[in-house]
Amino acid sequence: MKRNWIRSIIGGLSFASALFIFQACYGTPQDFQTDLLVQGQVKSKTSGLPIQGVKVSVADNMQHEYTDNEGSFSFYTELLDQVTIRFEDVDSTQYGSFADRDTVLTNIGNNVYLDIEMEEK
Amino acid sequence: MFASVKRIVFRKFKEAETKLHELNYLFWECTTRCNLNCLHCGSDCLKDSSFKDMPLGDFLPALDTIESPPKNFTVVLTGGEPLLRKDIELCGREIRKRGMRWSMVSNGYLYDEQKHISLLNAGLGALTISLDGLEDSHNWLRNNKNSFVKVDNAIGLAASSSRLNFDVVTCVNKRNFHELPEIYDYLISKGVKAWRLFTIVPIGRAKSNQDLILSGNEFIGLMDFIKDKRKDKSIDIKFSCEGYVGEYELNVRDSFFFCRAGINIGSILIDGSISACPNIDRSFSQGSIYRDNFYEIWQTKYQPFRDRTWTKKGKCANCKDYRECQGNGFHYWHGEKNNALVCHKELIEQAKYVRNAKS
Repeated sequence: MKRNWIRSIIGGLSFASALFIFQACYGTPQDFQTDLLVQGQVKSKTSGLPIQGVKVSVADNMQHEYTDNEGSFSFYTELLDQVTIRFEDVDSTQYGSFADRDTVLTNIGNNVYLDIEMEEK
Repeated sequence: MFASVKRIVFRKFKEAETKLHELNYLFWECTTRCNLNCLHCGSDCLKDSSFKDMPLGDFLPALDTIESPPKNFTVVLTGGEPLLRKDIELCGREIRKRGMRWSMVSNGYLYDEQKHISLLNAGLGALTISLDGLEDSHNWLRNNKNSFVKVDNAIGLAASSSRLNFDVVTCVNKRNFHELPEIYDYLISKGVKAWRLFTIVPIGRAKSNQDLILSGNEFIGLMDFIKDKRKDKSIDIKFSCEGYVGEYELNVRDSFFFCRAGINIGSILIDGSISACPNIDRSFSQGSIYRDNFYEIWQTKYQPFRDRTWTKKGKCANCKDYRECQGNGFHYWHGEKNNALVCHKELIEQAKYVRNAKS
């Protein structure tokens, strides 16, 4: 702890802007460290059973994932003040037919778990 | 005067960092398979299909030995070409489960939209893609006629994500040296925010290909190009941390030269060896994850990295800048280790001496 304090003081005094945000010469930059883990499960509102194959996406973003056979999904996305997660039944009637829905997330931390119920059409 | 004070304070900072040796950055050479056959292979990364990919199950126990990793601790997946691994997303998710970050170095050939999305979903936080020139010169160095089309697509995808801290790296050589202004314009047109430029280390295949190695005059041209373009701030352009560049220090990157190999940077190589940057001579291996506790090795070994006085020999023996440079990048000490393979400062000074003598 004491050493970290000394490190910060000396680093600050040397007026170099990238002292702690370094990268190895053949490596990558360092992560911005601002993302959000979105996890959850999608079920049928009528039967309570998990729904497979639902497209879970972030609005205005190309990121998406599909629910597995337990209706589960999990992905990281950019942490913003407000994130809209979209649930779409895109597989026609293969695992039933459900109405699409959006969930708007606000005041979120670094991870969120969503229990989603979708209504049958 | 002000510059001298900064230099002295930075020297103290380096001493403190070395003493603390906090592990912030861990390379994982997860595969040495590669889908390209670059002319400079073996210089900054290695292709060797005789090794099997390291199983995730071998890597994770080593990662789990790290006690209280700092918040910015990052695992950097490198190769070979990491995207050849079918389980790359699983690797990333396992790293994130441990509260750690991960990033990747790629040639971009397999980086399509589907892969871009699956990697972001798995928590990829930073990415570096290699671009070695405009179409002809990139394809020439990468030894593949489709590689530019592929990397162009990959760069567009990566640059479109505000979540990713993404940069492009370019190995500057005799073929692409004159294209630098056009590459600069191209990258800005693609929305790239950061560009790092390297020279090629004369080892591996690069050792016998003189087209790959810049002359002193060309190297000065590279320094002047970076210095000039840093003024307009359209893109965060910098010279890599590969070496000490004397009078150009602070003009071509954000801070003074500091090779952090073995100080903040460790690695787990394809055969389980524990070392620092993967391009460092493999004889510097400090142990093996298959017989040692990784973090114990990090805490108790790495003496050649943390006390570099052994490099004060050969051309470094009487150098007045030794305290700033400390033997240049660690990866320039190969074989018998009697001399640094490259001295950037010497390259600059000799070329300027010849220029002055002619004028």
